[in-house]
Amino acid sequence: MYGILIALGVLILFTIIAYNRFIMLRNMADKAFSTIDVMAKKRYDLIPNLVAAVQKYMEHERGTLTDITAMRARAMQGNLSPDERVQLENQITRSLGNIQVAVENYPELKASENFKQLQASLNEVEEQLSASRRAYNAAVIDYNNAVQMFPSNVFALVFQFRSRDLLETPENERQNVDVKKLFSN
Amino acid sequence: MKSLQEFENFYNQTLFREMEVLDDRRKQVVKRLFSIIGITAGAMLICIFSAIQFVDPSRDLHFILIFVGPVVSLLLGVLFWGIWARDKRFVADFKRDLIERIIHFISPDLSYQPSNFIGVDSFERSRLFLTNIDRYNGDDYVFGKIEKTQLWFSEVKAEYKTTTSKGQTQWHTIFKGLFFVADFNKHFEGSTVVLPNRLGRGALARILQKVNLSRREKLVKLEDPEFNKYFVVYGDDQIESRYVLSTSLMQRLIDFRKKYGNPLYISFVSSFLFLAIGYTKDLFEPSYFKSLTRFETVKPYFEDISLAVGIVEDLNLNTRIWTKQ
Repeated sequence: MYGILIALGVLILFTIIAYNRFIMLRNMADKAFSTIDVMAKKRYDLIPNLVAAVQKYMEHERGTLTDITAMRARAMQGNLSPDERVQLENQITRSLGNIQVAVENYPELKASENFKQLQASLNEVEEQLSASRRAYNAAVIDYNNAVQMFPSNVFALVFQFRSRDLLETPENERQNVDVKKLFSN
Repeated sequence: MKSLQEFENFYNQTLFREMEVLDDRRKQVVKRLFSIIGITAGAMLICIFSAIQFVDPSRDLHFILIFVGPVVSLLLGVLFWGIWARDKRFVADFKRDLIERIIHFISPDLSYQPSNFIGVDSFERSRLFLTNIDRYNGDDYVFGKIEKTQLWFSEVKAEYKTTTSKGQTQWHTIFKGLFFVADFNKHFEGSTVVLPNRLGRGALARILQKVNLSRREKLVKLEDPEFNKYFVVYGDDQIESRYVLSTSLMQRLIDFRKKYGNPLYISFVSSFLFLAIGYTKDLFEPSYFKSLTRFETVKPYFEDISLAVGIVEDLNLNTRIWTKQ
């Protein structure tokens, strides 16, 4: 009789520990995700300034500038699914990269104090965005490990905790900026 | 950054002649040392020999000559070495004529103060070594600016003491070696500490690394397996630590660790970079038994200083593409 009670007690204890651990890991991932959001918003704030600073010079890249303004507006509306949102953010990253490469053709613009400051702020936001993505992925890996590994996966099944997808870092895309494509816009 | 080849040319063309003068001083010091050793050994032998040969063993003089005599001559020898033979100014001149010249050759914007060192407050601020310090000193302080990056480094030694049950005080080294501080190229508030990974990468190692009770910072798991092989990272803020340790900086730290070949202690605290490189030898001190007219003798001094100043370039600290200028 006592044996059953002890076993039951241990089981309840384990369940509580496992449940709380899932909540903790999920909250950590959520927190990291909300930082991505904060950084993305910081970046949205910079886009109009950037467009204003460069459009005077960049006659040929009008299309890119209109595109990025449109993308920003779409992202800020907020009625996107997470997948769409991620894709859109990656596109914004790519467009910003393209603009920064195109600036090389406008020495006057490149040398202007205003643009230099903007570029520094943009680089900083990009780096912070990348850091929060990496932090999110690290948190998701911890969470997914708990969801998928035995014995905690049993509890995950009971409480319906599901694994999450990792964010792909768009850095590679940024490095391979397609300049030709940019000018054909 | 000046290459070893450039330094060799500088040595052959300019430094060599000055080193000949300095090396004569070194030879004199060595000569005096040997003559004092010779005289002391001679005096000791004479005492012992005359005691055995000429003195009646039953008399007091025998005892004095055979025991006290050698001890007195040894003490006199040491005293002579200290007062007369050592040439105290040789070390000072060595630092001025060689070390300072090398530093200015590497960059004229650097200053050198041989007897000064990085303060204990900076050392503690780095959060690299959390043991309470009971004794702290150092020398060979170098500071200045390499392009946009302000830097400071010196040799330091930090120790703590323990008392045995018999009441004897024992000193233990916390850190001895080169301590380097630089103005980092990004803004950040908290602290990120990168320590050598001594436990490996197994599951048990991870658990032990996570339960680090002495640290207020939490374990930061980074995604680069090679980086994790060499280092373990603790940080106040998971995101800020990753902002500081960008993927490119991680690669640069791996490369620097490979280049130097020994454990490295690195931290990032309130927009400053701290780096501690352990050495067992005393840095920037003359060696009495190696000729300064040989390039091979001078080369290690250049290499040690280059390694320190080169950190700025190795870690890309002059890249100021973020808001911090």
